[in-house]
Amino acid sequence: MSIFNSGFFWFIEGILTCLVILGIKTWAEDRGIKLTWWKWLLILLWFSLAGFTLAFVGTSLGENEPIAALRGGVLFGVLTIILGVACWRLLSLKKKKN
Amino acid sequence: MEQNKPKTKFSRRSFLKATGATSAVLGLSGLGFFGYEAGRDPASYTGWKTFEGGDQTFPRHRFTVNEPPYEKVGPTRRVDPRSEIVFSRLPTFVRYWRQDPRIESLPEHLQKYYQEHPEDLELDLENIKVLRPKLMADQEKYGRTFLLAEAWSEAMAAVVPPRITEPPEKADFPYVGWGRGQEKLRRPYKLKSPAKTSRLIKKIAHELGATLVGIARLNPDWVFQYPIPGRGLDPNQPLEIPSHWEYAIVVGTPMSWDPMYANPNYGTSEDAYSISRIIAYRLAAFIKYLGYAARPHTPGYSYDLMVPPIMIDAGLGEQARSSIVITPELGPNFRAAVVTTNIPLKPDKPIKFGVESFCKTCKICAEQCPSGAITKGDKVVVRGYRKWQLHAAKCYNFWNSNLGNMGCRLCIAVCPYTRKANWLHRAALNLSSNDPTGLSHDALTQLQKIFYPGPNPQDYYIPSLGGKNASYRRPPWWLRTEDFIEFE
Ligand code: SF4
Ligand code: SF4
Repeated sequence: MSIFNSGFFWFIEGILTCLVILGIKTWAEDRGIKLTWWKWLLILLWFSLAGFTLAFVGTSLGENEPIAALRGGVLFGVLTIILGVACWRLLSLKKKKN
Repeated sequence: MEQNKPKTKFSRRSFLKATGATSAVLGLSGLGFFGYEAGRDPASYTGWKTFEGGDQTFPRHRFTVNEPPYEKVGPTRRVDPRSEIVFSRLPTFVRYWRQDPRIESLPEHLQKYYQEHPEDLELDLENIKVLRPKLMADQEKYGRTFLLAEAWSEAMAAVVPPRITEPPEKADFPYVGWGRGQEKLRRPYKLKSPAKTSRLIKKIAHELGATLVGIARLNPDWVFQYPIPGRGLDPNQPLEIPSHWEYAIVVGTPMSWDPMYANPNYGTSEDAYSISRIIAYRLAAFIKYLGYAARPHTPGYSYDLMVPPIMIDAGLGEQARSSIVITPELGPNFRAAVVTTNIPLKPDKPIKFGVESFCKTCKICAEQCPSGAITKGDKVVVRGYRKWQLHAAKCYNFWNSNLGNMGCRLCIAVCPYTRKANWLHRAALNLSSNDPTGLSHDALTQLQKIFYPGPNPQDYYIPSLGGKNASYRRPPWWLRTEDFIEFE
């Protein structure tokens, strides 16, 4: 069993997630952005999509499906980038208004 | 200021403390559950994971139905393998046709069959006159590419249990003692309950290596009208169904995944055939030891019955457009064997988990099948049951139009249900199984077409028939002959 298949991997992922949340919170405070519940929800959804995209590409490569990896990477990757830019703007716009 | 604040009953600090304490309790008891699961996890039985039943994971109890998901629409008739099953029909046809190439020279049942199915006569003739000679010529030119795949298949087929040589009244029953005439029938032990026996039989089947096991009461409609040779019965006499064929236990194992995706030429059925066959013989021996009758019906072609509908009755899966049974765990990637028995058992219920709805729109197998044997149309009535009907003669002709291992199995390789058990494909299975609207079925089909395209179906043929010896996916490294063998 590789470490990426183990419970320990999810333990580390949990710690990293906590650090990401702390980082975002600090980043927002530094810029005077108030992170309301729906902003947290947007951030969560975006990270889920980004995570899904990377996991999809990795899984497809792992199961010898390079076409699926490429097409999935482009399709979900472009979607992730577009939604990421939109999210970013949404957060920044609020900041300006504030 | 602080002091003037009204005191709430449950302050923020108290809330945090309570949350902390609850989390500690939950977290610690979670570790207890983790330990329990880790201790009994089938994956921890290294080398025996399958044998612990760790692969039959689908929550079937949530998908059971009282009646099997096929429709009985009229008077039914049992299949006559002599004419309706190509493995029996073609050898007889060849034998007679070589001696006297006229319809009138064929046995009566074949004459009748060809009169009713003239297209099959043309296809069978094409098989022997056109396809086989071309296949042999191309085998000379290109066959060496598939040498390792053939060797692998040969290895898997090497262990074959002895043929049944006596009729069911003798062969199926447990005898003890030595020497002819000295044997005594073993007395059956009294069993506590059919439910307990079913549980025991399933555990034993898993311990013997079955990935999937299910139990059905045997529907006589699934038994052949005439026995095939090698079953201890006279193939020319109608098969009287013995009264001790009460239940059917179905066991199944998958074909090795990587060669299977490299069909039609690198894959083989022999791996799963062999494993399921040996399990069935061992299971029959176990049942006989308890004093009951048991008879194995095993792949390649040593049956007295049709296996797919029994699998459906036993709750292992649903019939698919490709005419194969799709199971939740393995999709259609599995080969089954059956043990008929009179040991009292509690049958399983059939299941319905969305396959029929999926197949209605998907049609990927029909589009990818090189021979056009899989219908893109609706179900038809066959021997009194409505089902998707495979044109077996077309399918079999393609088996003689590609190199490598015998058979094709492309319809298994391309099916969206034939996916390995990782998070991605398990999520898709959960979505499609739990979607009564069928909307996800369309979406998943489109994604399958985008992400997992296959070659042009014509490319699967041998070069003499306009093809390129293509396979759906590249073979795994250990079947690439060119990387291991130096040809002069
Ligand atoms: S085995 Fe091959 S030829 Fe036969 S139905 Fe399946 S895809 Fe078609
Ligand atoms: S490929 Fe599609 S239509 Fe064919 S059996 Fe699989 S799900 Fe059904």
